[in-house]
Amino acid sequence: MSSLPILELRAVGKSYGANRVLKGIDLTVQRGEIVSLIGPSGSGKTTALRCMNFLEAYDEGEVWIKGQLLGYRSAGRAERDLDSEKSIADVRRPVSMVFQQFNLWPHMTVLGNVAAPLVLSKKADKGDAYKQALAALKRVGLVEKAHAYPASLSGGQQQRVGIARALAIEPEVMLLDEPTSALDPELVEEVLSVIRSLAQDGMTMVMVTHEMSFAAKISDHVVFMEAGKIVEAGPPEQLFGNTRTPRLQQFLKPWFDRSLTSVAGVE
Amino acid sequence: MNSFLFLIPRFADAILVTLEVSVVAAFIGALGGFVLNALRLRFPRLLGALYRIYIWLVRGTPYLSQLVIVYFGLPVIGVTMTAVQATIVSLAIYSAAYFAEIFRAGWASIPSGHMEAARAFGIDRWSAFRSIELPQAIAFVMPLLANQTILVIKESAVASIITVPELTMTASDIVSSTYTYIGPYAMLIICYWLLTQCVAVAFKWASVLIAPSRKTS
Repeated sequence: MSSLPILELRAVGKSYGANRVLKGIDLTVQRGEIVSLIGPSGSGKTTALRCMNFLEAYDEGEVWIKGQLLGYRSAGRAERDLDSEKSIADVRRPVSMVFQQFNLWPHMTVLGNVAAPLVLSKKADKGDAYKQALAALKRVGLVEKAHAYPASLSGGQQQRVGIARALAIEPEVMLLDEPTSALDPELVEEVLSVIRSLAQDGMTMVMVTHEMSFAAKISDHVVFMEAGKIVEAGPPEQLFGNTRTPRLQQFLKPWFDRSLTSVAGVE
Repeated sequence: MNSFLFLIPRFADAILVTLEVSVVAAFIGALGGFVLNALRLRFPRLLGALYRIYIWLVRGTPYLSQLVIVYFGLPVIGVTMTAVQATIVSLAIYSAAYFAEIFRAGWASIPSGHMEAARAFGIDRWSAFRSIELPQAIAFVMPLLANQTILVIKESAVASIITVPELTMTASDIVSSTYTYIGPYAMLIICYWLLTQCVAVAFKWASVLIAPSRKTS
């Protein structure tokens, strides 16, 4: 049985002028899967993620969302026409996003932020939108902050609002761009535990992360990227357990060293 | 003192002329500047160059020359205006360039992530403009709008050379007919000061009304 993948990248490439930052990325995400993109800074993992909802216009290959081509009117390799803004929005509708810098709208309350995508894209009437927004806030444990403004929240709380906003539109796949990288170390865990609970509920997620232990535990599939290419991809046991790629071994070494020290420290 | 009080009725008339000319011009100018910036944002390729040329011409030349072109130049092609109308039109054209740049700064102050989030969540451009950019940009530009409106009030003094009976012309009139300087010019200063203070206070109130409980990050 091969069901239609929820998200599929075929030979996706992206250049900024002469600088080719993505060099043919292939990736398939099935419903319910959690995929983590790891790799050094500048490896193209964030760009790859941003191509998945066309925040970044890829210029080679194809991105398919539930069998629909994203961003262009036709597949194929030659010169292509950009799709209309409305069609792009329609195709990306099942995809939502959590940003590294949260990107909350500071002039709206927490509830306003979470409801805004529903209200402004007219996907729901106002009453339903606020009900849905409150339900999403409940899932991230921030109902009591509904009427606060983002600036009065901690970074961890702001990111949980960001996650609630991404949940409220009832996405079929969530893209998370380094969701904990902008946080103080002691705030990371509250955000990770929210993401873990989404994973338990079966949410499909694609996540760029530097939290290796977290990625190892939560992912069904891990992708290691470097210099715009996928170097190795597979289940976490393979990448974190017995990779034979020297570059990945080298990339993971500091993390292994740290885990070993902390284990030694406990015993 | 007696001669000072004697000046009040004439200045009372004049202050209303200055107020009318500059407030109407600043209002049209601000509206025009807002529209110019909105068009530039919506059609950057089509209108970006035109926008820059407009700013370049208007900001690069003295207001006096613009007033002269509107008042003495336009009649050549059959467009005739009264002195007050010409002042309002030219002052609106002049200030629109500055107001447009103020709105441009307001929009530039919004982190790009805010609009990325809007796009990622399927919010169309117009809704994002209205509900995400506009409230933030307006809060940002309020002090700059107050500043520019005050400048428009003071720039309207140039209209005295085409005999608009506003404050500066009234003061010069009195000076040349009575040969007293201190009284009329003191009065002139007080009148401009009053006007600009009113504008400053009005904008302060407006800022509070616009953002009653907003906390900035």
